[in-house]
Amino acid sequence: MARTATEWLEALRELGVERPVRIMNVCGGHERSISIAGLRSVVPANIELVPGPGCPVCICPEEDVYEAMQLALHEDITLVAFGDMLRVPVNVPKKDPRSLEQAKAAGGDIRPIASPTEAVRIARENPERKVVFFAAGFETTTAPVAAMLAEGAPENLLVLLSGRLTWPAVAMLLDSDKPGFDALIAPGHVATVMGPEEWGFVVDKHDIPAAVSGFTPESLVAGMYSVMQQLRDGRRDLDNCYPQVVRPGGNAEARRQLSDVMEVVDANWRGIGVIPASGFALRDAYAAHDARQHFQSYADESRKRVGEMPPGCDCAKVVLGKIYPNECRLYGAACTPRKPIGPCMVSDEGACRIWWSSGTRENVWEGRKRDALG
Amino acid sequence: MDDDRISLAHGNGGRFMRELIEEVFAKALEASEIDVQADAVPIDLGDGEVLITTDGFTVQPLEFPGGNIGSLAVHGTTNDLAVAGARPMYLTLNAFIEEGFEMERLERIVRSLADAAVEAGVRISAGDTKVVRRGEGGGIYLATTGVGVRLPGAVPSLKQIRDGDVMIVSGPVGDHGTAVMLAREEFGLRGDLVSDAGPVMALTEPLLALDGLRFMRDPTRGGIASIGHEILKATGLGVRFEATIPVREPVQSVCEMLGYDPYYLACEGRVVAVVAPDQAEKALAIWQALPDGKEAVRIGRIVAGEQRVILETPLGGERFLEELEDDPLPRIC
Repeated sequence: MARTATEWLEALRELGVERPVRIMNVCGGHERSISIAGLRSVVPANIELVPGPGCPVCICPEEDVYEAMQLALHEDITLVAFGDMLRVPVNVPKKDPRSLEQAKAAGGDIRPIASPTEAVRIARENPERKVVFFAAGFETTTAPVAAMLAEGAPENLLVLLSGRLTWPAVAMLLDSDKPGFDALIAPGHVATVMGPEEWGFVVDKHDIPAAVSGFTPESLVAGMYSVMQQLRDGRRDLDNCYPQVVRPGGNAEARRQLSDVMEVVDANWRGIGVIPASGFALRDAYAAHDARQHFQSYADESRKRVGEMPPGCDCAKVVLGKIYPNECRLYGAACTPRKPIGPCMVSDEGACRIWWSSGTRENVWEGRKRDALG
Repeated sequence: MDDDRISLAHGNGGRFMRELIEEVFAKALEASEIDVQADAVPIDLGDGEVLITTDGFTVQPLEFPGGNIGSLAVHGTTNDLAVAGARPMYLTLNAFIEEGFEMERLERIVRSLADAAVEAGVRISAGDTKVVRRGEGGGIYLATTGVGVRLPGAVPSLKQIRDGDVMIVSGPVGDHGTAVMLAREEFGLRGDLVSDAGPVMALTEPLLALDGLRFMRDPTRGGIASIGHEILKATGLGVRFEATIPVREPVQSVCEMLGYDPYYLACEGRVVAVVAPDQAEKALAIWQALPDGKEAVRIGRIVAGEQRVILETPLGGERFLEELEDDPLPRIC
């Protein structure tokens, strides 16, 4: 007797929890569904829905994007990358190409792809040429990259890996003085691969209610209902509101391939810093496919703002749920999807892009300025 | 015609060009009784205000489930006349064909253009062909200019729209845009969705009998959200779309996968009408009795005081539909 989203909403309103509660989500897909369904305007007023670290493009190290651009510009290679990485800006002097898209225009052989299969196909079609796959993503995209290597990729296919785990960012927030949320909606797709158990620490160690949700309004509101009910009853358990696909233990084969091919290492998150045990690196057995081993590094520590967000850009705060997208001074003013400054306005998973495309145009700062004048 | 591909000689004004025009175009367009010799021809329009419109067609791929660039070149232009309250009568046709284009494909496209013209009740009365060098065109581009005569009855225009008016749509939105995109197979997606491209005269003409008919438009590029913005811009009145906008399941899932909003995707055979509130039911009943209007529904209302385009969601929430910026699907018409 599955409830509809409307019925879940009704149940949520009847729960009778009146204190303010901030519920964080950890997936661009969640944020998109919430925005498109207009959920913020219908949940009880005491519930705040906070977009959290759910965008792999947004936290992909600036140095890694820079490295990918330099490889494409200076080595005789074809660089393939997921489409939404192409417009992410790096910090370089004005005259230099500042994104993979501009590096492509400057002569780099850079091609957008949608899946590792395409990377393999392009490598097979060009056996005489090195193809570098700039693989940035969370567990859901990194697992297929591991599978691709485990199952035997063409010799000329190298991987510039920039894979990240989602839960350590949430752990970092919870270990900080001000986590900024009272309940968590855990990402359904990540849990499908890695198993929901990964998120157990949220309830066990931090006493924060959590639920794994899918991407329909039904599943999301069910998750919200679950965490609010846990709060009301003083009960904590990691609820699975996406049982259709999320199974205990996740996808055993995908996890095995991930651990066969990659190890978990400390990793840098753009604008946030190093988070312990939050990234993937290729194991030595796969060194032959590791672009970092194969090419010299183009890292240039003398670059201005290396590793940081662009000047004035609050993407890091948005990613960590510290501010809403339209609380960044650049939102909708200097930074729009057409002329993005920060990565959150580039990626389809970025909260700024999602808010913009679902109709939020007003920048809080502009509103305040107008109110002060008017 | 012996050639199986278009060459530059088919555009040089000589024998090959004459043969192309006579054997491919004039033959298929027999019903139009096109005079290929004349520099200019007279057209008989009868009585009534004459309306004229023009449109260019660059769709990729050239052929898609439910139509091709040829049929689209007829529907796109005649539908613009129809929603303005006219009966389309004549079309002119310009074809820009790329060197190397397969003759068989050209014949197929011209044939469906001719069939669409017969179905729409228009004659192709003048035309021109050009051949562009290889690499300078996307296979074939078409341009059509349409002439029609205003029908008696309501004179639909943006200026007629009033606070409280009701918006209706003749069927599900976004089929054309999605079908064309699926036909590109760019995203590894496949589907059996068919474009809604087709003539809309059967839908527009009966509504002219309603004195409460304010405005009609076919939601092509930019989808119904863009119609909302046109209304807002022209009248200063807000538009509230209700949670009833019909979207087919495959369109919905493609949108979910690619992060598109179906309300911005194009149709090529649907009509949105704005009607006085007391005649909305009547207008719907007229459409629902027609084969192309079975799925017609009320989708929104005009609201003074809210100068936005607002979408009410099925959960009772709402969000703004902003003016389209970057087209997710370029070259769909």
